[in-house]
Amino acid sequence: MSTVVASYNIKGGVGKTSAAVNLAALAAAGGERVLLWDLDPQGAATFLLRVKPKIKGGGRRLVRGKSDTAALIKGSDYEGLDLLPSDFSYRNMDLALDATKRPTRRIAQVLAPLAVEYDYVFLDCPPAILLASESVFDAADVLLVPLIASPLSLRTFDQLQRFVAEEVRDGPRILACFSMTDGRKRLHRELIAELSATHEGVLRTAIPVASDVEQMAVHRSPITDFAAHGRAGRAYARLWSELRDRVDPVAAAATRRGATATRA
Amino acid sequence: MTVRGTQLLLPDGLSAAATADALAGQLPIVTQRAHVIERTFWDSFDGRVHEAGLALIDNAGGLTLADATTYAEAARGKRPGRSQRLLVDDLPPGALRERLAPLLEMRAVTPIARVRSRLLPVSVLDDEGKTVVRLRVEEASARLDGDTSAPLRPRLHLVGVRGYDDELERVHTLLAGTLGLSEAARPVQDDAVAATGGMPGGVSSKLRVMLRDGQRADSAAVVVLRELLATLEANLPGTLADVDSEFLHDLRVSVRRTRALQRELAGVFPAQPLRRFREDFRELQRITGRTRDLDVQLLEFDELERDLPPTIAPDVAPLRVLLEDHRSAQRRKMVRALRSESVRELRRDWSAFLDGLTEAGSADRPDAARPIGDVAGRRIVKVYKRMVRMGGAIDDASPHEALHDLRKQGKELRYLLEFFSSLYPAEVVKPMVGSLKALQDVLGRFQDREVQAIELRSLGDEVAALDGGAAALMAMGVLVQRLGDDQRQAREQFAERFERFAASEQRALVKRTFA
Repeated sequence: MSTVVASYNIKGGVGKTSAAVNLAALAAAGGERVLLWDLDPQGAATFLLRVKPKIKGGGRRLVRGKSDTAALIKGSDYEGLDLLPSDFSYRNMDLALDATKRPTRRIAQVLAPLAVEYDYVFLDCPPAILLASESVFDAADVLLVPLIASPLSLRTFDQLQRFVAEEVRDGPRILACFSMTDGRKRLHRELIAELSATHEGVLRTAIPVASDVEQMAVHRSPITDFAAHGRAGRAYARLWSELRDRVDPVAAAATRRGATATRA
Repeated sequence: MTVRGTQLLLPDGLSAAATADALAGQLPIVTQRAHVIERTFWDSFDGRVHEAGLALIDNAGGLTLADATTYAEAARGKRPGRSQRLLVDDLPPGALRERLAPLLEMRAVTPIARVRSRLLPVSVLDDEGKTVVRLRVEEASARLDGDTSAPLRPRLHLVGVRGYDDELERVHTLLAGTLGLSEAARPVQDDAVAATGGMPGGVSSKLRVMLRDGQRADSAAVVVLRELLATLEANLPGTLADVDSEFLHDLRVSVRRTRALQRELAGVFPAQPLRRFREDFRELQRITGRTRDLDVQLLEFDELERDLPPTIAPDVAPLRVLLEDHRSAQRRKMVRALRSESVRELRRDWSAFLDGLTEAGSADRPDAARPIGDVAGRRIVKVYKRMVRMGGAIDDASPHEALHDLRKQGKELRYLLEFFSSLYPAEVVKPMVGSLKALQDVLGRFQDREVQAIELRSLGDEVAALDGGAAALMAMGVLVQRLGDDQRQAREQFAERFERFAASEQRALVKRTFA
C-alpha cells in the first residue's frame, strides 16, 4: 500500500512544488518506489523533471477514468521516481470532477490500482479549494502544508485543520512546514520555534529561502541533484526524514536498519 | 514498476570507455561516473528464483529480489545474520519474505555466484535533455574460491524508462542493427555460475531421459539408472550438510526409483550382482527413512498447529522441540551411515556395474537384448492390471493394508511411466499420470495421516514427562483426532478417484498403447 502525501496550500507561491519534487526525489533516492502526480495545471513539477506534458485526452479524460493511468506514467531521470504529468487541460479539472458521479472519490480511485506499485505517492496540488481539494483530502494520508512564516498563514492553517476535521470523514493527517524562511528575521525565528513547540502538526524543519530553490527551474532537476549539501538541500533532507518518521515510524526505522538500495 | 530491458553482449576486450565513445557517435548520451559493485546471487539448489525469472541479490547485507534481466526491484529486505543458508522462516516478516515464501516453500537459498562489476551508466536523452533510455556498460568477473576470479564477457544493459517504450525500441534496433550487438542468451549471473562450474538454473531432480523404441532394454535401463545415480550423487552433499529437507527427499526418491527399476526390469540384469545391489539399496532406503519421517512431521507441523483452536495451539510447542530433538539424533545416525565405507562402496560399485552392463554376457539376462518398448510396455500393462484388480476388490470393509498395498503398486506404475514416457505418445501418458496422481494423492494422504497419528501417539509418554507436557498431550489428542478425520475423508474420496483411474476407456487405452 502506498502512502499518499499531498503538498497542499490554497495559496500559490509558497513552495508546494519544490517540496513535492524534492521530497519525492529524496524518497526515491532512499530506495522507495515513488510516484509524483502533478495536479497543478501550470505543470511546474512536470517541467522540473523534463517531461513533455502530453496527456492524450487531457486531464479531463484521466479524472473521468477513461484513460489507463498506468500508461500515462513517465519514468524520470531518477530511478524509483515516476511522474504522472500535468497537462494544461487540468485547468478544467474542477469541471471534469464535477461531471463524474462521485467527484470527491476520483483521485483515490485513480490511485487505487497503483497502490501495489509505489511506496509513496506525492501529489503536487494546484492552489484552490474547490472540488479538487476535497478529492485530495479524500485520497491523501497526509496533507503537507508549506507555510510562509506569518501570523496570517497560521490562521489559514488552523482553518484548514478545522475544515478537514469537521467536513472530511477519515481525513488526512495535516502537517505544516515553514517554507521560504529567513533566519535573519526575528519574527520568523520566533514564530517557527514557538509553533513547532506548541502545535503537534507543525514540523520542526523549515525550508530557508535560498537561491538554490529557484535554481531548480534553471537546472530542471531536484535540488538533491545539484545542491544536495547547500542550506536548502540539507533542509529538504531533514524535512524528508522528519516527515517519514511522522508518517510511518516503523518503516522509517526499518529503512534505517536495512540496506542501501540496489537499484543498479 | 514494470521496466523493460535486455542485456546485449559486447565484443570481448572492448573497454567501457571505447563502448561509450562508440555510443556517443550514434546517440545523444551523457555518461555518468563509473562505479564498482559486488553482488552475491542466491538461489535454491533447484533454481527456483531463476525459474521465476528473478534474481536474489545480496548487496552489503541487504537482500533484493529483482528481475533477472533488468534488475528492477520486486522486493527487498534485510539479510538476517551471516548464515550462508536461508530458509523462508529465517527472513524477517515483510515484502521479501512474502514474495519468496510461495516460490521457495521448504527450500533454502545459498550463495550461487559472486560477481564484481564495474558499471558505467549512460543515459540516452531526448531533446529536453531528459533520460529516455538507460544504458549500463558492465565489465564483470566471477569471483572464484580464494582470491582468483574469472572475467566474464562484457555487456551492455538496456533498461527502459517507463513511458518511453518507443525510444527503447529505437535504441535497441540501432544497437542490434548498426552496431551489430547480439542479445545475451542469459543474464550475467548465469555466466558467473557457469564460470564457477555450476549449473545456471540449478540442478533439477526431475527425471528427463530420451529413449528409442528399438533400443536394447539393458542399454535403456543404464540410461535411466545413470540419471538416477547422478541425482543421488547431486543431492548427497546437501543431505549431509542439512541445507534443506528436499535434498534428502530427492535422494530417497532416486533410491526408490532405482529399486523400482531393478525390480521391474529384473530380466536385464545378471541375477547375482542384482541381488546384492537390491539389498544394498534397500538398506540405503532404510537408513534414511526415519529422518525423512521426522522431516515430514516437522514440515507439516505448522499446518497442523494452524488447524488447532487458537486457545490450545501454543500448547503443542513442547512437541515440536521433541520432534526436533528426535530428528537431530536420527540425522546424526543417518549421516554416519551415509558416510560409511559400505555406502561409498555401493556408489562406486553400482556405477562400475552400470558401465559394464551392456558388455556383460547375456546368458542369465533374458530381457537384455529385447527392445525396451516391449519390455517396458509389458510391465506397465501388468502393474496397471494388478492395480485395477487390487483396487476393485477394495470396499468399505477392507483393511487399511489393502489401500497401502495399492499405493505401493501405484508408485511402481508412476515410476514406470516416468522412466519410459519418451517411448509413448504424450497424449496417452499425460492423462494417465494425471488420473494416477489423483488416486495416489488420496492413498498417500490416507497412509500419511495414519503414520503421523501413530508417530504422535508413540511420543505420548515422552511428551507427558516434559514441562507443560500435560497441556501438550491434550493438544496432541486433538491433533490425532484431526489426522483421523482427514484420513477418513481421504478414504471417502478413494472410490471416485479409483473409478476414473480404472474406467473402461482407460483400460482399453492402456491395452492399445502398451500391450
